[in-house]
Amino acid sequence: MNASLASVFTLGIGFLSLMFLCALAVERGWLSRSVTRHPAVYTLALGVYASAWAIYGSLELAAGSGYGYLTYYLGAAGAFLLAPVLLVPIQRMARTHQLASLADLFAFRFRSRWVGTLITLISLLAVLPLLALQVQTLGDAIQRMTGAGSPALLALVLCTLIALFAMIFGTRHGKGPARHDTLLAVIAFTSVVKLVAMLALGAFALFVVFDGPADLQIWLDGPGQAYQASVMQPDAAHWRTLLLLFFATALLMPHIFHITFAETLSRHTLLQASWSLPLFLLLMALPVPLILWAGQRLGSHEVASAAYLAFGLSDAFWIQALAFLAGLAASSGTMVIIAMALSGMILNHMLLVAHPPEAQPNLYRWLRWLRRALMAGVILGGWLFYRTVGVHHDLTTLGLAAFVGMAQCLPGLLALLYWPGANRKGMVSGLVVGVLIWLAGLWLPLLTGLPTLLLIPPGLELLVGEPDWYVVTLVSLALNILVFIIVSLATPTSEGERAAAEACSVDAVIRPKRLPLIATNGEEFKQPLAQVLGEDVAQREVERALTDLGMSPLDGRPYALRRLRDRIQANLSGLMGPSVAQDIVDRYLPYRRSGQEPTDDIHFVESRLEAYRSRLTGLARELDGLRRYHRRILARLPVGLCAFGVDDELLMWNDALAELSGIDGASVVGSRRDGLPPPWGELLGRALNEPNDHLYKQPVELKGSVRYLTFHRAELQADDDVRGGTVILIEDHSEMKWLEDELVHAARLASIGQLAAGVAHEIGNPVTGISSLAQNLRYDTDDPEVLETARQIQQLTDRISRIVGSLVGFAHGGRHVKGSVLAPVSIAAIADEALHLIRLARSGEDVRYRNLCPAELEVLGDAQRLQQVMINLLSNARDASEPEGEVVIDAEPAGDMLKVTVTDEGHGLDDRVREHLFEPFTTTKPPGEGTGLGLPLVYSIVAEHHGRIEIESPPPGQERGTRICLWLPTERQDGEHTDEPDTDR
Amino acid sequence: MYVYRIMLFLVFGGYLLSPLLMSGWSTPGVAWYRPFAIWGVLIALTLWLEQKRKLDER
Repeated sequence: MNASLASVFTLGIGFLSLMFLCALAVERGWLSRSVTRHPAVYTLALGVYASAWAIYGSLELAAGSGYGYLTYYLGAAGAFLLAPVLLVPIQRMARTHQLASLADLFAFRFRSRWVGTLITLISLLAVLPLLALQVQTLGDAIQRMTGAGSPALLALVLCTLIALFAMIFGTRHGKGPARHDTLLAVIAFTSVVKLVAMLALGAFALFVVFDGPADLQIWLDGPGQAYQASVMQPDAAHWRTLLLLFFATALLMPHIFHITFAETLSRHTLLQASWSLPLFLLLMALPVPLILWAGQRLGSHEVASAAYLAFGLSDAFWIQALAFLAGLAASSGTMVIIAMALSGMILNHMLLVAHPPEAQPNLYRWLRWLRRALMAGVILGGWLFYRTVGVHHDLTTLGLAAFVGMAQCLPGLLALLYWPGANRKGMVSGLVVGVLIWLAGLWLPLLTGLPTLLLIPPGLELLVGEPDWYVVTLVSLALNILVFIIVSLATPTSEGERAAAEACSVDAVIRPKRLPLIATNGEEFKQPLAQVLGEDVAQREVERALTDLGMSPLDGRPYALRRLRDRIQANLSGLMGPSVAQDIVDRYLPYRRSGQEPTDDIHFVESRLEAYRSRLTGLARELDGLRRYHRRILARLPVGLCAFGVDDELLMWNDALAELSGIDGASVVGSRRDGLPPPWGELLGRALNEPNDHLYKQPVELKGSVRYLTFHRAELQADDDVRGGTVILIEDHSEMKWLEDELVHAARLASIGQLAAGVAHEIGNPVTGISSLAQNLRYDTDDPEVLETARQIQQLTDRISRIVGSLVGFAHGGRHVKGSVLAPVSIAAIADEALHLIRLARSGEDVRYRNLCPAELEVLGDAQRLQQVMINLLSNARDASEPEGEVVIDAEPAGDMLKVTVTDEGHGLDDRVREHLFEPFTTTKPPGEGTGLGLPLVYSIVAEHHGRIEIESPPPGQERGTRICLWLPTERQDGEHTDEPDTDR
Repeated sequence: MYVYRIMLFLVFGGYLLSPLLMSGWSTPGVAWYRPFAIWGVLIALTLWLEQKRKLDER
């Protein structure tokens, strides 16, 4: 009691200034993100749980009930130990649907704005004693330090500064994570201050008041026994009830809910808190008994004043300053977050529900100022409650009154996660019963100073004589749960509630319905929303949702529009609460009502399953593995596949179809059939409406060429477990169609060839006759003119005979004759003969040919078949050449082989064609002009001759053109035999 | 899943057995820090389970 009011005031202002500075440092980026987003910051921010109760109330409770004070810490540690099964599902819901408070969560699950209002009202009533406790500890601490008779005014000044802080930093509309960073960092800062202060006080008690741990143990076993004997240890039932209360507190208190779910963006950090928060609480709890025992050793006996024993450890200012700062840090953090959380709840579930927002010129600003006013009101309400009620009660009474009140929401919260059968009537009935018992048993006596108004019913006489908090907790929670269960089972559950229950249930996957919206694209969302939000806000909200989803404003897929609507609802929920948000989207972004029964949104269910994969365990994980496997089979099927729901909405578009159509599945899945890009909408419509299940070889222009597609349809019959729809297989039969055309063409050519060979044969006889007659004529006359005529007739008939011989030879040359004999043949002669035949053709008359093969070069081969090789190569070169182009045939020795080249100056070959050039039916010529069999035949004949073939396109030293290089043996190869199998392809 | 079951077991087991912690307050010869040591061991166990869960999810 040696500090002046001014010094304490300076200490308080100094600490609060540091809070402002910390917030500014984060906002302005003076602190690195690696620091502000460190998981430890989040754990320390969760330390907001350790309010002034943890600093002073725990000492009071420890003095009265020994280790009973630990229940406050162990209850919260238990709640966070269950993070994976309890906190993570709530966090998932809160993030998905932008639910920032317990009232949001209940209103969303039980589909009623009045449920949100009820939860807000209960939270407000329950939080007031807790706020009063924070203010009271501030006032009492100042009184302990300064001896001031009425510290309430100074407490009011500190409260005003705390409210100012909350108003400035709690309602910034910073972009996303930045606002979270600031708040988390500031609350983490307050946690560090209170932890360091408590540890320092504990260390002072252990090492200065006592002479270390050994001395403490001696004191405890000796003189300390007298003090411990006065402690009323709670029995096991009290202990467990306290544990349950604090377990509920850690989940339900508005400020803890806010930090745990609204300000935390990562599941990982929440899971990490399952061990790091209990560690923080352990460190906070450890100094409590040390300070208590040190105080007792120094002569303090009163349990009533035990809360402030830390001030009595020493007259040194710094010890008292530490005790004051620990309390101030705890109170300020708690008050800021309570103000933020409650202001949001009151705004969304009381004010906006009573007076829905109208189109404001600046809705965001209006809402921000409303929240600021509410924050100030909440903190001022806490101070008023302290002034009128709090000063008359000890911290334990105030704290327990708050905790028992909030615990009434525990049955509803657990049912929300684990009992889809729970309904609104049941929850509200149970809650009202529980809250009425709490009000009568604890809250009103707190307010009026009268004894508890609760009467012990007959049959529960064993509760007579038990503490009020214990009786009220047991009776209120038991009746709450009982009424909740009975009413839920006895009354029907609405469709909306059932859907929301599935959305909230831990084990269920949301199965939303596929309903079409009236709006046909994102842009059309703006106008109806502008009626309620104003043009500016409507535009910003739609654009924000589009950005969140990475969607184009013109995307008209029903699936995408439903996601956009959900996103807008979630974002508006974050702004104005789920009830108002739902009202707005229901009214201004309605679904189109069609007579058809809506079906499940399978695509959405699948996308959710993908997101939940890491959370699935056991059988569910195995089944999901199977689902993925089957889906991959469909996706990777080498045939195009798509599936439609009964409402013609596209559910699947596999990889093969994406490749065939050039349309990515992600961009069309969720579209209606008639909204698919042309020509697919019309084509698939025909396939769906075709009386038969098959639609064969439909010509479609794709990527600049005509393809022939065949559609096979199968109906999926719906039953209780399986959804209906249609699956369509799409096969590309273009090559088969083309092959059929080519075969018809080849057959026609073959018949013409046979005809030509027959005609040639028939022509041979009269030509021989003409030649003989010309010969006779030469013997019968000496007239030089007649002799010259006869000679010319003979020359021309010889030429006809050569042509006929070549044609007949070629007609036979396509077949490999077993046992044919390889003999040395002149490559120059073969080239000449081939050129002779080539020139007979009408096409390519303007192409020039040069045969540069030296006459003396010979190869070992079948002349007829080699001639066919040459004809095929020259024919290809001619077809590839431009008018006035040149084709050169050359040959040169290459070891024991002869290298023969046919070079043109044509358009050349691209790599894709070159890879398949020796495969049958590969051609670069227009349909009907090439069979695609020429080069395979060449390859086959060259292989028969033990030669090889290579293609250079363009040839070295040329800019364009193609060179075919043949290597043919000049000598008999080892092991060569001529009776090889027929290699005709 | 097994990790979650262990955590559930720990929490409910702790809930039922935790009243035993109180006995150390006034019993001579019992180290004053015993409840904190037990608590510390539980935290270490939770940390280990959390690491195991992270490995499971990879």
